[in-house]
Amino acid sequence: MESDQKKKHLRLRAAFGLSLPDEKQGYNPEAWLHSSAHIQPLNVVEKGEIPQMQTNSPTDTIKQAISKSRGDILKLNGSWMDQLTDPRVVIREKMTLFWHDHFACRVRSGYLAQQQNNVLRQHALGKFGDLLHAVSKDPGMLQFLNNQQNKKNSPNENFARELLELFTLGRGHYTEDDIKNSARSFTGWAFNPVSGKFFFREKVHDDGLKTFRGRKGNFSGEDILEIILEDKQTARFVMGKLWQYFVSDDQPDDDLMASLSTDFFNSGYDIKKILFGIFTSSWFYDPRYTGNRIKSPVELVAGMLTQTNGKFEYPQASLFVQRALGQVLLLPPNVGGWPSGTAWIDSSSLTFRMSLASVMLKNGETTIDAKDDGDVNNETNRVKEKKITLRVNWGELAERFVRATADESLSAIEYYLLARPGLKASRQVVRNYAGGSTSDPEFVKKAFIGFMSLPEYQLS
Amino acid sequence: MKTSRRGFIKSSMVATAGTLMIPNFLKATGFESSGRLQQQGKILVVIQLSGGNDGLNTVVPYRNDLYYQYRPGIAIRAADVLKATDELGFHPALSKLKDLYDRGYLAVLNNVGYPNPDRSHFRSMDIWQSGSDAATYLKTGWIGRYLDSNCGKSLCTAQAIEVDDTLSMALKGDVIKGLAMKNPEKFYRAAHHHFSKNIPGSSEVNEINDSSLHYLYKTLAETSSSAEFLYAKTKGKINSAAYPQNEFSTRLKTIASLIRSDVGTRIYYVTLSGFDTHANQQAQHQRLLAIYAEAVHAFVDDLGEDTMNDVMIMTFSEFGRRVRQNASGGTDHGTANNLFVVSKNLKRRGFINGSPDLYNLDQGDLIHQVDFRSVYATLLNKWLEVPSEKILNGSFSMSDFI
Repeated sequence: MESDQKKKHLRLRAAFGLSLPDEKQGYNPEAWLHSSAHIQPLNVVEKGEIPQMQTNSPTDTIKQAISKSRGDILKLNGSWMDQLTDPRVVIREKMTLFWHDHFACRVRSGYLAQQQNNVLRQHALGKFGDLLHAVSKDPGMLQFLNNQQNKKNSPNENFARELLELFTLGRGHYTEDDIKNSARSFTGWAFNPVSGKFFFREKVHDDGLKTFRGRKGNFSGEDILEIILEDKQTARFVMGKLWQYFVSDDQPDDDLMASLSTDFFNSGYDIKKILFGIFTSSWFYDPRYTGNRIKSPVELVAGMLTQTNGKFEYPQASLFVQRALGQVLLLPPNVGGWPSGTAWIDSSSLTFRMSLASVMLKNGETTIDAKDDGDVNNETNRVKEKKITLRVNWGELAERFVRATADESLSAIEYYLLARPGLKASRQVVRNYAGGSTSDPEFVKKAFIGFMSLPEYQLS
Repeated sequence: MKTSRRGFIKSSMVATAGTLMIPNFLKATGFESSGRLQQQGKILVVIQLSGGNDGLNTVVPYRNDLYYQYRPGIAIRAADVLKATDELGFHPALSKLKDLYDRGYLAVLNNVGYPNPDRSHFRSMDIWQSGSDAATYLKTGWIGRYLDSNCGKSLCTAQAIEVDDTLSMALKGDVIKGLAMKNPEKFYRAAHHHFSKNIPGSSEVNEINDSSLHYLYKTLAETSSSAEFLYAKTKGKINSAAYPQNEFSTRLKTIASLIRSDVGTRIYYVTLSGFDTHANQQAQHQRLLAIYAEAVHAFVDDLGEDTMNDVMIMTFSEFGRRVRQNASGGTDHGTANNLFVVSKNLKRRGFINGSPDLYNLDQGDLIHQVDFRSVYATLLNKWLEVPSEKILNGSFSMSDFI
């Protein structure tokens, strides 16, 4: 594969597609990964009152706090979408999105959601062990998985179960007794609702003898995490998910998986190192892994924003589009995270996805209604923004893409937007739609709309 | 009657099919013998009440002192209850549902839920839609898995239709997904958008050797054919039956029109939202119950007795509400709830498993007695006549309302 094509594939998988500033950069995975050193935390939500678990008769103060928090989540959602589409920090953001799906939480408090998101961002390319320790002590996680209620003599196993099943070892690699015993180790892991910080409630911690994964000891929560990290299966499980996110829904053959997992494990779970290994391997650029991954809704929208360098005219439109497509940042469906691949595509979602470019770049208004999740307190249910226009500097794009002839221009735009060449018939449709004259002031816009409306645009 | 009806569909389909521009590659994969034409069987309509319907104020235990003690401000007064038995009656807004009850068209199952109930809307809805237990996270829905195991390779999407713009997880299978649309005309227009109507010819699509791209083009072609089919079948057929003027009624009317047009769909899915009544619930709840009951009644009337032999409506909500009212004149998230089944030839009708037990509560919540998956198992095995074990990942005892 040519280095230019490699660059494109890398941007499609590790970012949200080629962007205008990419023009000046070559294919250089090392330099590119290195550029991710900068960490830009989200900082749009003030602390204020942190709403506690739902009580039977919430006071007015609690209700106000809940209501403020819902608004905060919307704000946070918008500012994260902006940051996801900032080419300067994109690889770290794309990894933050990965960990947000891996450690999927619906955090009720906007402040705690922001804090958790920043924890994910801080460790996104660091060591998985550090990330695991930090997330396990993260107040949003402790609240979401009921660890505030996990006390000596009345353990709550919710966190321990998801830790083993979804975050580290995976199903089939632990026993129910492992869950029971490790839950006891996490008793007393709590947070202070005023400061929003982790704290250890020693009085409710069970420091008795536990048996975990065949070992006996007075294990603390930290000990349990270390034992989990000493198990190669954890490297294998996380590697499998990284593979799915960056490479393919089909897992690789056992040999490759074993060698990747071993590398990850031996590096001390160095995330950046393993990504560098993936991005510089030859198989990453093998045709069977290129141009065939179905974009998640967030990837689709972030891609459209990135590639047009556009911004939603009405901030709430971003949220509406996420809802209508079925993936809202900060609101994963459950602790298992979002589905992937063909699960995103059905008749109605494909029709909507294919009409998005026309609506966002042209007519501006959609007729689709997004679903309500049933929760009267969920502010996102009230977002019914039908004007989802993007503000785009078409002059800038025309300058970049208009060539001597219409066909050359179309080829340049197709190469820039699509992960793989369009089917012949589909390209013809775009050609007919865009017309043959580059002097038409709408030419570039029509070409963008055309290619972004093809099934091929659903792939990265 | 069955055979002649089936025969009619077959012949009319062949006649229509000629005029449809079915992409060749679909023909090659067996469009003519697609699942929806194989048999015209029973039809299931699923109504989802989103937000957690307050079951205790829907079917009211009006002789139970505890009910009035727990709900001093919002209980339905015994004098207002539409009494059905010595113990139970309906909310006054449900006179139309009471009428169906009187005609023997209604079965009410009380205390339906699942072990370790989750009080979060999204998680509990997830559990109901996927048909999992509280500790399992599935990414497919129970109706989707019905499609997966009972449909051939092409055009199965129209076997299950959700009347909405977006498709719920309930209708998503691993391989096959149902179809979401508000009405055939809107769907037809959306599917014949400038870029989707120009489907490449069969040869080019058949040459796609990448499975993702093939899946996309195949979905596109199926969408287009389904849209054409549904539009052609329903076009010009005006349904003049009287329905109340609201969105939910309109959706049921759409379903009635589709059933009448013999489109062959086995499962319809529709949602009524707004049941999350945390504060001052009475007016809101009354309004929603009236919308629900009037729409269902109009739908049953519209279909008529003959068709109602083949149609069953199942109504559920993701959870009931707490037994005790809260301080804001509302109710918070609860657990077990009642579930309604409407059909003509119910084997058992009325209240088929007694009243909710307000004496034995679990931290203020009703304790479930019937697992919702045994209702699904009953509908799948006895109504849709397909084995339910694989779809539900387990075997559940069946109810005897069918």
